[in-house]
Amino acid sequence: MLNRRQWLKAWSAGLTALPGAAQSGLVFPGKRSMLVHNDFPEDLETPVEYFDTWITPNASFFVRQHLPRPKVDAGSYRLEVAGMAASPLKLSLDEMRKLPQYKVPATLECAGNGRSNFRPRMPGLQWKKGAIGNAVWSGPRVADLLKKAAVSANAKYGNFDGADAGVAKTPDFVRSIPMGKLMHEATILALEMNGEPLPEIHGFPARLIVPGWDGASWVKWVNKITLSGQPDGGFYFATAYRYPSRPVSPGGTPKPEEMEVIEGMAVKSFFARPDDEAKVKPGLVKLQGVAWAGEQRIVRVDISSDGGGKWMPAKLASEDFPFAWRLWTFDWRPGRPGRHILMSRATDSAGRVQPVESAWNPSGYLWNAIDRIAVVVEG
Amino acid sequence: MKGVLGFLVYVCGALAADQAMVEKGRAEEKRSCVGCHGLRIIHVQRLGRGAWERELDKMARWGSVIKEREALLEYLVANHGDDKPAAPLERSANGVGAKK
Repeated sequence: MLNRRQWLKAWSAGLTALPGAAQSGLVFPGKRSMLVHNDFPEDLETPVEYFDTWITPNASFFVRQHLPRPKVDAGSYRLEVAGMAASPLKLSLDEMRKLPQYKVPATLECAGNGRSNFRPRMPGLQWKKGAIGNAVWSGPRVADLLKKAAVSANAKYGNFDGADAGVAKTPDFVRSIPMGKLMHEATILALEMNGEPLPEIHGFPARLIVPGWDGASWVKWVNKITLSGQPDGGFYFATAYRYPSRPVSPGGTPKPEEMEVIEGMAVKSFFARPDDEAKVKPGLVKLQGVAWAGEQRIVRVDISSDGGGKWMPAKLASEDFPFAWRLWTFDWRPGRPGRHILMSRATDSAGRVQPVESAWNPSGYLWNAIDRIAVVVEG
Repeated sequence: MKGVLGFLVYVCGALAADQAMVEKGRAEEKRSCVGCHGLRIIHVQRLGRGAWERELDKMARWGSVIKEREALLEYLVANHGDDKPAAPLERSANGVGAKK
């Protein structure tokens, strides 16, 4: 990977000189061929055809970075737990590894996944479907760290900062998580991702895992937790990643006081295969995809091939864990050749049903409309 | 006839001036943006004039020194406006096993 200095040098030399770049484009070491939204810092989307396994391999996992990625030295790294705590901590990576370690399977989704579907358009990365992935994360519980620091009963938030820093006057990326979620047994500081040390691009050496919540909460390169009675007042918590508390007409501007922090994610499903506009042979067509619902459980996924008139249940795969997506399959036998519109609709344990339309909002968050693909059955 | 010719000269002149402005904006994009981030994050977006203006305001607040703001805005609207089709995303090459 390139640091900022290397990238600028390569860019000024004409970009074709990017180290490791193939003639046809960029190469990101450790990553399969990905959809490139940005190369510095890297914002990479997972192509939907990779979503054929319950675990998304690290090599296929999407990447979102707000600020240039820091290079963290494992030896000198320290996690600081400060603020409203009687015994503030400074822990090395080895000391963190010696704490009880927990494995948490959890799906990570960027709040802006699907933003490209909203009209009118809004600024931000124009994610399609693939700013999502499912991994097994391992590391100490945040609750154990906070207890070790003797957190004050008056602390209401943990304000998480990473080693990344703003360029010029770009704000630092700090997120505040309320104490209730921090003390949940599944909220951990991941040191490993799918059994490997956390890759640098995914937050080495420590990433906050906030199961069921939007990706912005999952702070990378965590090196400081400040326990406080107040949430952080910076841009990335006080302004960004907020959703209107009541419906907004497309293109409208809600009042700042109507904007709420995004926490649990919406219910959604989508097709991974076949591709949109794929041509298929007549006979049995295997449809497959994923579904998830943030802090809720997926209880069913239904498929329609007639524009939503009739819905038929998909088969849910056996892997069924809180906070993790479920794979689904459906054996479809098209009755005629030609173009068909297929739809998938998920329902969760709270009774939420994937809607026909996703509510427009100024930053394009939480797209979860019923997924639609076109499939052409050959004659 | 003279009037038509005069109109055509005026239109061509205006288009050339616009194009010159757009090219100046393209150069300004390279000058003022790449110190902090790559250009792809701009080029994948499709926004109206008002939204691009707000983005430039935000970037200025965040430390970008934009010397040719008007030209940059014209360039963004002309090339990455919300009337343009969605930008196709590039695919990277396979980097599994590639040297870091």
